[in-house]
Amino acid sequence: MKKTKAGSILAVVTAFTLLAGCGGNEAGGTTGGSNGGSGSEKPAQAAETNKPTKISIMANLHTAEVPSDMIEKMIEEKTNTELDIQWVPDGTYDEKVNASFATGTLPQVTYLKNAASLINMRDAIRNEQFWEVGHLLKDYPNLNRLKPEVLKNTAVDGKIYAVYREVPLSRQGMIYRKDWADKLGIKSPTTVDEFYDMLKQFKEKDPDGNGKDDTMGLTDRSDLVYGAFKTVSSWFGTPNNWGEQDGKLMPEFMFPEYMDTMKFFQKLHKEGLINQDFPVTSKTDQQNLFTTGKAGVYIGSMADVSSLEPKVLEVNADAVLDVQNKVVNGSAEYGVWSVPGYGSVTLFPKSAIKNEEELKGVLSFMDQLMSTEIGNLMYWGVEGQHHQMEEGKVVPSTDTKLTDREVKPYQAMQVGGPLTIEGFLEPKHLSPVKAKAEEMIVENNDYLIEDPTAPLESVTFNQKGVQLQEMIKDATYNFMLGKLDDAGFQAAVDNWLSSGGQQIIDEYNQAKQAQ
Amino acid sequence: MVQDRTLSSRLFDIVNSTLLIIIALVTILPFLHVIAGSFTTVTELAQKQFVLFPTVWSLDAYKYIFSTNTIFKALGVSIGVTFFGTLFSMVVTALMAYGLSRKDLDGRNLIMFAVVFTMLFSGGMIPTFLVVKSMGLIDSYGALIIPSAINAFNLIIMRNFFQNLPEGLEESAKIDGAGDWKILFRIVIPLSMPAIATISLFYAVTYWNTYMQAILYMNDADKWPIQVILRQIVILASGLAADTSGMEDFVRPPEQTVKMAVIVVATLPILCVYPFLQKHFAKGALLGSIKG
Amino acid sequence: MSETVIKAAPNPETKKKSQESGLLKRMIKNRSIYFMILPGLLYFVIFKYIPMSGLVIAFQNYQPYLGIMGSPWVGLEHFQRLFSEPLFFNILSNTLILFFINLLFYFPVPIILALMLNEVRINFFKRFVQTLVYVPHFMSWVIIVSITFVMLSMDRGIINELFVMMGFEKINFLMSTEWFRPMYVLQVIWREAGWGTIIYLAAMAAIDPGLYEASRIDGASRMRQIWHITLPSIRSVIVVLLILKIGDVLELGFEHIYLLLNSMNREVAEIFDTYVYTAGLKQGQFSFSTAVGFFKSVIGLILVMLANWLSKKAGEEGIY
Repeated sequence: MKKTKAGSILAVVTAFTLLAGCGGNEAGGTTGGSNGGSGSEKPAQAAETNKPTKISIMANLHTAEVPSDMIEKMIEEKTNTELDIQWVPDGTYDEKVNASFATGTLPQVTYLKNAASLINMRDAIRNEQFWEVGHLLKDYPNLNRLKPEVLKNTAVDGKIYAVYREVPLSRQGMIYRKDWADKLGIKSPTTVDEFYDMLKQFKEKDPDGNGKDDTMGLTDRSDLVYGAFKTVSSWFGTPNNWGEQDGKLMPEFMFPEYMDTMKFFQKLHKEGLINQDFPVTSKTDQQNLFTTGKAGVYIGSMADVSSLEPKVLEVNADAVLDVQNKVVNGSAEYGVWSVPGYGSVTLFPKSAIKNEEELKGVLSFMDQLMSTEIGNLMYWGVEGQHHQMEEGKVVPSTDTKLTDREVKPYQAMQVGGPLTIEGFLEPKHLSPVKAKAEEMIVENNDYLIEDPTAPLESVTFNQKGVQLQEMIKDATYNFMLGKLDDAGFQAAVDNWLSSGGQQIIDEYNQAKQAQ
Repeated sequence: MVQDRTLSSRLFDIVNSTLLIIIALVTILPFLHVIAGSFTTVTELAQKQFVLFPTVWSLDAYKYIFSTNTIFKALGVSIGVTFFGTLFSMVVTALMAYGLSRKDLDGRNLIMFAVVFTMLFSGGMIPTFLVVKSMGLIDSYGALIIPSAINAFNLIIMRNFFQNLPEGLEESAKIDGAGDWKILFRIVIPLSMPAIATISLFYAVTYWNTYMQAILYMNDADKWPIQVILRQIVILASGLAADTSGMEDFVRPPEQTVKMAVIVVATLPILCVYPFLQKHFAKGALLGSIKG
Repeated sequence: MSETVIKAAPNPETKKKSQESGLLKRMIKNRSIYFMILPGLLYFVIFKYIPMSGLVIAFQNYQPYLGIMGSPWVGLEHFQRLFSEPLFFNILSNTLILFFINLLFYFPVPIILALMLNEVRINFFKRFVQTLVYVPHFMSWVIIVSITFVMLSMDRGIINELFVMMGFEKINFLMSTEWFRPMYVLQVIWREAGWGTIIYLAAMAAIDPGLYEASRIDGASRMRQIWHITLPSIRSVIVVLLILKIGDVLELGFEHIYLLLNSMNREVAEIFDTYVYTAGLKQGQFSFSTAVGFFKSVIGLILVMLANWLSKKAGEEGIY
């Protein structure tokens, strides 16, 4: 009895000492911790030229795991730096950036996820929280190659604060089952009518020959932009987000072509030519319908063919895929919507970079990331391990597990891209359809429909643009499912206008005039 | 014990057991699908969608996730955080709950109200981040434990259990001259094993599910617990990541089978905790502890 | 029991002094008790009450770079925006309806399930079932919702295929306003009911088996035993959980509903959290989100205080 009593008291005392001990240690650790995080010791070291410069980075993790540090070590060695890379899972990237920003713990090199994240930062940028870099870029041979027209899209009040990672301007097109089309004697569609006919035959003529009515035409997902809808709307000639009507900027959904697109989808849905659940289908389920031979057409990024093809062949070894981009409505001209040319952008917080001297050091590192050697290293990995060279072109290793773990994550840290990095290696596509898809993506560059508001700003849009867009999205889906008629859709547009949409229109038009 | 062998009682048992079997089956089927899905091929999963027994078996998914030590490392972190976190939380919670269960404590209602208040009002992510940062907890495992040391809900439940103990026991111990610490450790805690087991389980599960704290406070990916890896894979594989950064061309999402395998690996360890605690939920467990 | 409760009832001036010295005396006598609650108190102060200062941003136009001290004050502007929102009443009624559905259809299920488990006499079987029903709690909503989707889909969903085989029409579960609420509550029951039994089983473990024995000798049926012994013994736990549940009236599980929400069911599925997510966080409006959270907390607080008061009126302990 006595022993246990003593034991229990001892346990409590230990617990408290532990508690107290923890507290003490942590208090002691505070100063060291916060210094290390902000990297404020850096300028002192810059004086000693041989010592590697410390660079802290926050980047978006798109793969299952954090990469091995092999390529990081190589970059460090080549750039004489010591990198501290904070990988943040994609799903919570914006939250982490916001929290770090609010607590003053952003690193020196902060990647922003996408255009929307940049828009959210505009106010902070305007309030001088980040370094302006526009006037410095010309001093760096590689950064100087970044395209002015793309940089302009990232600008705030005409000043440039960011460098960007390049993305292809328009990868949009269709991927379809050529074996099905050949069997039914359908040629690659070039008009919307032919496209409709293809979907109809894919549904009704039993293209897989199993005697069952178990196929459909198009597979789509719950995404009005990167799914099929926006690309088909381009075929109909709808502008990209905003278009000009009598010299005035108007949102796309006020154009008759948008209505035509919705009616087209309504017809597809009614006739069962598209998956019935497309407004709630995930990308995974959408692709499943295609790879398992339930649907014959996939519209979206033509580059997806490289991941779709092996899966389709796994299910049906005789399947053949093909791609097509140029589809038009009637005798209209072909056009395809494009993105502003950048994926993620990089900002340089003043909280982490103390002076312009330090900024120049960081920019010189960014410049080296765009060099031929490191640019290719970050994208393709190491020759012999992650890829082979054939006829001066890259053949990526088939061991995707290896490249997923050692190379792919670093692509998120890329600065520039194929168009801006000197001597950027081209891939050799072993699959003919993938090669064709790449050709068509390049070809799309001649037919781009740009978003005229990309370089413009509207305060109201910043405030409630997303929320307002939601109204239009709801109305669009409900129209396509036949739950809303023309008048109902018009009512939604009117609601949009009166809830702030009219202000957005006015602000964009003013911004355009001011340019 | 008097045996109850009446017809109506037996009928009751039969109906009750049958219903429970049906309920158990319904609840477990989706998890069986996840397990089966983790042992089959990507193609089979895509074609069948709902698999309960794979026709083609494959260990590829497990080979993939175990081919690096990331999962092991993350499991290690989670197990450590769960174990020490639960221990720490239980000590602090039990002490406070016992103190607040004492009816002779002045101000206890005020304190309880203050506790309930924190369940409703919270300052949000950023102010808490600042507190954690100012304590120097960033990148230390303490950041996953100390800021969530007490869960108000658990505290209230535990206090409720303490309050429901027969009052006479404490009184007679006091008359025998036992101090507060002795009463707590020699009488109250041994008598409250079902509650201790329950609240330990609640804490363990909370620590096991730690996610957002890890994202915010752990910059070093080596210190990520399993939930971070799990969520990353589930979100990527479910196609929930936005297509807006133009990365989807380069990076293939993890396969569905890999997603299933990670779910299994991340769930099994915490599932194993429950059976160990179950003996405390047996009928009359409390009486047993008094006699023993 | 009640005579031991010390209440600071209004007292005449004369009595006050002696009471204060009594208070001091009691505090000294109970010093070890205060020592026990000290670490917990510190925890609540440091990690809950200090960060609570962040709530002031509900009355500001908070900008991260200006901080709480530097952001401009706007008073009740964000609250005005919330209340003047055309969808405000729609969202409020959606939230309340879901809450009542949850209270009515989910809350009793773990109690019933725990009672059923408590009646099982074969120990192995009891543990086995207990373990199985608690598994779903560990599956994230993403997984549960995607499995539901696979089963209920119009395209290849098992349920709809079955309907077609049996000669019925397909039902559009996922995109209908009628099916959203049943689907929501069924998923909640499926995931949480087994987990919810744990607390009740722990409370039942504390019941003296002698009570059952005595009632059995009296010839009470099993249902009578449940009604007259088991339920009264866990009553106080049920009351506490009910009060806490009521405080959560506007918290319905953001992730779950967000995943079920789509353009076709929005009119019944939009709740405060999902609304704030699109209106606020997606656009980085910290202050507005905080204001909405503040509003939810105030409602929760009022209801908790009401429920606690009622439970005390009814002779229960309440929470505080």
